[in-house]
Amino acid sequence: MRAWVRTNRILVQIAFRNLFVSKARTLIVGGIILVGAMLVVLGGSLLDSIDQGMRGSVQGSLAGQLQVYSARSKDELALYGSMTGEPQLEPIEDFAAVKHVLEQVPEVKAVVPMGIDQAMIATGNDFDVALEKIRADVRGRQAGDESPALVAQYEAHKAHLASMIRQLNEELAQARVIVDEALIKERAQEQADLDRASAPAFWKDFDQDPLASLEFLENRIAPQSLSNGFTFIRYVGTDLDAYARAFQRFHVVEGTPVPKGQRGILLGKLYAEDWLKLKAARRLDLIKEARDLRHRHIDKDEELRQWVKESQGQTRGILLQLDPLQAAEATRRLEQALPSKEPDLKQLLVELFTSDDSNFERHYDIFYRELAPLLQLYSVRIGDTITVKAASKSGYMSSVNLKVYGLVEWRGLERSTAAGMMSLMDLLSWRELYGYMTPEKAAEIAALKKNAGAQDVSRENAEAELFRDVPPPDQARTLPVKIEAPTFAGAAARKALAAAAGRVSSQDEIEEGVALNAAVILRDPTRVKESRLSVDRALKAAHLDLKVVDWQKAAGMLGQFVSLARIILFTAVFFIFSVALVIINNAMVMATLQRVLEIGTLRAIGAQKRFVLFMLLIETGVVGVAFGALGALLGAAAVGLIRLAGGIPAVNDQLYFFFAGPSLMPHLGATSLAIALVIVLLVSVASGLYPALIATRVTPLEAMQSDE
Amino acid sequence: MNDKAIVSVLDVTKIYTLGQTEVRALRGVSLEIHRGEFLSIAGPSGSGKTTLLNLIGCVDIPSSGQVTVDGRDTRKLAERALTELRLHKIGFIFQTFNLVQVLTVYQNVEFPLLLQGGLHRREREARVGGLLEAVGLAAHARHRPSELSGGQRQRVAVARALVARPSLILADEPTANLDSETGANIIDLMKDMNQKDGTTFIFSTHDPKVMSHATAIVHIADGRLAGRQPGGPAAAGGR
Repeated sequence: MRAWVRTNRILVQIAFRNLFVSKARTLIVGGIILVGAMLVVLGGSLLDSIDQGMRGSVQGSLAGQLQVYSARSKDELALYGSMTGEPQLEPIEDFAAVKHVLEQVPEVKAVVPMGIDQAMIATGNDFDVALEKIRADVRGRQAGDESPALVAQYEAHKAHLASMIRQLNEELAQARVIVDEALIKERAQEQADLDRASAPAFWKDFDQDPLASLEFLENRIAPQSLSNGFTFIRYVGTDLDAYARAFQRFHVVEGTPVPKGQRGILLGKLYAEDWLKLKAARRLDLIKEARDLRHRHIDKDEELRQWVKESQGQTRGILLQLDPLQAAEATRRLEQALPSKEPDLKQLLVELFTSDDSNFERHYDIFYRELAPLLQLYSVRIGDTITVKAASKSGYMSSVNLKVYGLVEWRGLERSTAAGMMSLMDLLSWRELYGYMTPEKAAEIAALKKNAGAQDVSRENAEAELFRDVPPPDQARTLPVKIEAPTFAGAAARKALAAAAGRVSSQDEIEEGVALNAAVILRDPTRVKESRLSVDRALKAAHLDLKVVDWQKAAGMLGQFVSLARIILFTAVFFIFSVALVIINNAMVMATLQRVLEIGTLRAIGAQKRFVLFMLLIETGVVGVAFGALGALLGAAAVGLIRLAGGIPAVNDQLYFFFAGPSLMPHLGATSLAIALVIVLLVSVASGLYPALIATRVTPLEAMQSDE
Repeated sequence: MNDKAIVSVLDVTKIYTLGQTEVRALRGVSLEIHRGEFLSIAGPSGSGKTTLLNLIGCVDIPSSGQVTVDGRDTRKLAERALTELRLHKIGFIFQTFNLVQVLTVYQNVEFPLLLQGGLHRREREARVGGLLEAVGLAAHARHRPSELSGGQRQRVAVARALVARPSLILADEPTANLDSETGANIIDLMKDMNQKDGTTFIFSTHDPKVMSHATAIVHIADGRLAGRQPGGPAAAGGR
């Protein structure tokens, strides 16, 4: 044993000294190993941290730890959508039953029903806004307020509306130049309406019956407005209270939560910023963010310059919102603040939006301080009631009117598009949009049936029932249908809405019905795998045909990102180490060939093949371990430096989601370190093996050089 | 076989295959070497001197015939056993010294002892120290071979060959890379060791001056034994 140790000491000594003798070779081989080990540690730690971030993002915003959905679904659950849009899921018919089963599983803390879909919402119409203002003035005057201020405001609003109609008429006239005759005929009525509303006579008579005039404008003119549009919204219909309890990152940033059991919608703050905010204001925000957070410069950045240019050219959105009084006020404020002598508001706006790095901050402040108070910045405001439309399961469009209670965010995911674009709706409204029976709908259908005299007909006696007492054809049958007195569509909608909004659904009504999927929150979020099996067993035992997937799988493509990145990293590492293997192998073969005399001598004076083998393996092993450890250490130091520097900033919204915050704070993973060292050791031994085998074939004869 | 014979070579043939051609390096050589001999193998280049030394040194085995070293038939030994035999029974001195460049003088000499094992550090120190003293390099123990002259290096090699107290030391042209005075010193050193410990030395050489120290000279020509004569200045000179 002691002899063995002694022999090994000399072995290690020879190996080490040989490394120092051929410094260049050692440094090249070591350098490659160093870089590889560093990459494994740094990359592995970053990926682990992204994994953690994603875990937080996905679990905290929508998924929980597990998701349950019908096993009969055509598609797989994809909480953030898939390439082909929303996945086709079969519904869970009775969520209450599922919840009951799942809550019996000890690991389960909470179960939240969900229905995720896309819908369209009206993003408002400048005409509607203007008409609403005048209507308020008229109501005030009818209530007896004839103050000069109100009268002046009323006149200003009227003038604003008249100018909007003239502008619309001009724009549509331009559009007509390029459409064909047939279409013009078809649109003759629209043109006539527009001409009537543009005529001075209309405005002269306006005051005689302001409400009728407004009705005409609302029904005939507003729909022609070019600014009238829909935008898409992605939402999750859920038990809003259960959701808020289960998802701790979720919070209402503006407005209030939807009162318990009531209908309503909470819009994602980021969604509101991106899709509902006045474009000029949004662009200013984006430029400010790019400058402040990402240190970009307008002068050097093509995209920022483009945004500036777009704002200059698109002042119409602002001009349309301002009535003459407001326009005058805006002109006064801008002339003073900029300062400028320009009397035209449009030109002033162009001046305001003409910014470079030197004046951007000042112009941004002027916009928000002077101009914004006169504007409606968001096309949907908290407290508004919006119409949400979607294709129901049967294929028909269904729509619900929902009050916007507030804007919501997820802590740490404020700028993350995947999370922050999501809006939340009460579960009953989702069911209605999706085409499922809600208590109100059931009642409405029952009432219609009663009025129509319809009866339930069973399949067995359908024929008898249907063809009984067929009246003679000449005898017209009077249908016992009560026709409701016609009401104004708007009034009816308001009434229905008031009824729906006021109605408080019970928890049972929320739970005893359809959901598409359910988020399962675990007591111990780290035990996803084991808990998934428990949940699966419980569902099987209850004969519920449901699939259980973990959060990663539920996130669809997004969930695969980390796995994909890991594959890329390890492919890169594999290539580096393959190259390293070849280079080290070559270098060591060369070294072995140069040392044939030495090796032959060692063999001649009595060293066994084994000795030579170990000697060379130790040489590569020492290089591998020494430089591998150094590389791992540098990788660890890099992780530490990144942490000291405040993490890696999320330069775009996608990264924000992956990082689950504004920056990625990498954690040094013990696993990454271990993997790095194991790989390095394996590679260095593997690359040293062939040259070492060559060395064992060197015979002692090689030492016996002579001149023969 | 004589009891006193440490090496016995019996009708040995060695054939190398170089590509298509066969080279018959030795053709039926028979030879006995006794303990304590200081034997010179002489012959022109290509005569088969080195081949004979290799066979005796157990770094190669004969194509036919028998080589017995210290009573063991080398053709019947496996590679490992041959290596063991070299480690314990044979010391080598090379024409190009062949020291391990990365080890010190002391470590080079100590090396065979470490391979053998079995001696304590103190014993090793004593033995290596004594030998370095004997070859006059005690002061250079910590030097690397690259810091020594050719003669000094060959003296280290002599010490290394002797350190394991082998029965037999083989030296292939030990003085060929040395100037004549240094070469004479090395031969004197070897002779000294031969006389002190009775270690058998077998060396090949061209050099008549070197041959003159031998107790016997074996002449080889064209792979055959051309004669054996007792050594001494006269014998060397006559060749």
